Amino acid sequence: MRALPALAPLAVAAAAAPALLGWIAAAPNRLLSPRVVPLPESATLAWAAFHAALAVLLLAAARPRPAWLAELAAVAAAVALLATVGLGAAGAVPAGGIARAAPAAGAWIGLLALALATATAASLRGGSPALPLLAALAGGAVLGAAGWLDALSLAREAEGRAPEILAALAGHVGLSLGALGLALALAIPLAALSLRARRIEAGFLAAASAIQAVPSLALFGLLIAPLAALATAFPALRAAGLGGIGPAPAVIGIAAYLLLPLARGLLAGFRVAPPDLVEAARGQGLSPRQVLLRLRLPLGAGVVLGALRLAAVQAVGLATLAALVGGGGLGAIVFQGIGQLAADLILLGVLPLLALSLLADAAIGALAGLVPGGRRA
Amino acid sequence: MIRFEGVSHRYGAVEALRDVSFAVPAGTLLVLLGESGSGKSTLLRTVNRLIAPTAGRVLLAGRDVAAGDPQALRRGIGYVIQSVGLFPHRSVGANVATVPGLLGWEAGRIDRRVDALLELVGLDPAAYRDRLPATLSGGQAQRVGLARALAADPPVLLMDEPFSALDPATRRGLQSALRRIHAETGKTVLLVTHDVEEAMVLADRIAVMEGGRLAAEGSPSALLGAGGPDVLRRMIRPELLAFHRLAAIPAGTGAVPGPVSGAPDLPEGASMREALLLMLTAGADRAALPGEPPRHLPLAAILAAAAGEGPV
Repeated sequence: MRALPALAPLAVAAAAAPALLGWIAAAPNRLLSPRVVPLPESATLAWAAFHAALAVLLLAAARPRPAWLAELAAVAAAVALLATVGLGAAGAVPAGGIARAAPAAGAWIGLLALALATATAASLRGGSPALPLLAALAGGAVLGAAGWLDALSLAREAEGRAPEILAALAGHVGLSLGALGLALALAIPLAALSLRARRIEAGFLAAASAIQAVPSLALFGLLIAPLAALATAFPALRAAGLGGIGPAPAVIGIAAYLLLPLARGLLAGFRVAPPDLVEAARGQGLSPRQVLLRLRLPLGAGVVLGALRLAAVQAVGLATLAALVGGGGLGAIVFQGIGQLAADLILLGVLPLLALSLLADAAIGALAGLVPGGRRA
Repeated sequence: MIRFEGVSHRYGAVEALRDVSFAVPAGTLLVLLGESGSGKSTLLRTVNRLIAPTAGRVLLAGRDVAAGDPQALRRGIGYVIQSVGLFPHRSVGANVATVPGLLGWEAGRIDRRVDALLELVGLDPAAYRDRLPATLSGGQAQRVGLARALAADPPVLLMDEPFSALDPATRRGLQSALRRIHAETGKTVLLVTHDVEEAMVLADRIAVMEGGRLAAEGSPSALLGAGGPDVLRRMIRPELLAFHRLAAIPAGTGAVPGPVSGAPDLPEGASMREALLLMLTAGADRAALPGEPPRHLPLAAILAAAAGEGPV
């Protein structure tokens, strides 16, 4: 087992940044610029826990055994850092007043360093960083639910907007799943047909590649006019929710982008089974569908799931742009925050987005772990 | 059992098969012999419709194979290929059970059939049933391939260079296993090979392919005799022609009555080639045949057979 040298500087950075650049920035009201304030005594215990976790991380960097220790320490340090900021903020500004507290630059840099340390440790172990990063986000959510972060302006913002954010999250999940489902419904039959005719394969790949050349927002925009015309011509479609503005162009546009990664992954996956094996299977009397389901799909499951994972993460990311064509989703929160120059609001859109993306990655990764040969995904 | 009627096949400009016509009687082990690119594999694959002839037709038990459902046709024909083609993610037992499973046999019957077949091909069912193909040697894998082809008891077995990738000792073991299984089951077997010696050892009949045409069709000893096709002389060293021809002639055909002492004993069903090798090894000029009344085979009878004289 080799040491994990990259982790030590990250652990040192996570310790030094808040100490040098400050933990908490406070302002008397939201109009005045925040200033760094000293860490109040209310955070001493959490501060100690943070440094203990960093010490374990340094230890794990020198002697990486067990393999998961570095990840655990980095995640624990990140959660302890958040707790320090939250409890410190409660001591720095009076509860219920108009004074506001937020993490200072040092705390942000510390969190970033720990996120990098987590991802580095995970990839050095040969695993996906999604699961430990998700654990860190979940730890932050638990702190928030327990009220430890209530003094932060972010928590106050979240409290007021909880229903709006939950609705946007649900909309985002719907957009992503809808697009992924639509793309799969197109890609699976086309990939299966491509195995029988090279011309279908060439056309399929050419079309999927051509779509990638169109900027995503332009594609959404291009879809608005024809979809609006369709909805006008067929009132039944309009009644079903199809229209030029709204989720329809976004779902169709995102699905179009997902075609290329899915096409490549499905075709490569279906071809993992060697030709003579397929020939033997046909010779036994397996129908084309049985060859696909019993031979090509199980043998190519790792490659197919890898493509699905990529497509799912892309879908979550692209769905952010749906807000620009009236499709809703977490993008609506993010763009609203940008419009108002409200950093907390932007974060409230970005954090669930990050969690969703990591969740999609981890869930399909876990699925890939279950199938033989799927670990390559 | 199988009848080729004017079968031709083109891949673009390449004529892989040109007007091939002959019949394979039921219960015969016919070897399709030819060099690479002679069309022998293509011809084999017209029988289970993996290839559709561009002209002519193939009859199986009197019915045109092009009529009806190709999957149903293939489930009624055993198929063995050189690379074996076992499903790598399924156990040996599950591989053998492929066609019975497709035919919807009930589980108990499939299990009994799998065990019986593994025994037939010389593999202990308890030791091999649950293993994955990757854990098998080449010879063991091809035994499983043979068991899988025989699983649903098809009357016809197609074998495409089944033993070509195996080492010589393993190949001989599988050849004798195939001969035994053919004798026990009476299947009609069509086997493709480029190995003249293998053809001599296995075949009841040989069809020689050359450039997509049928060059000759007949008994092994007749084809290697003076009237045989030239292509066979290219495929083996000419000085070995007579030697290989002896493999197809039973030792009993040259026997003379009378006991003999100090001579090696021939096993049951030995060929003249085996008798010659035995005599060379023992330094004898005759060998004793098994059974009563006592008979023996003199060296002169082997020489006469090799020269194309005497009974064949």
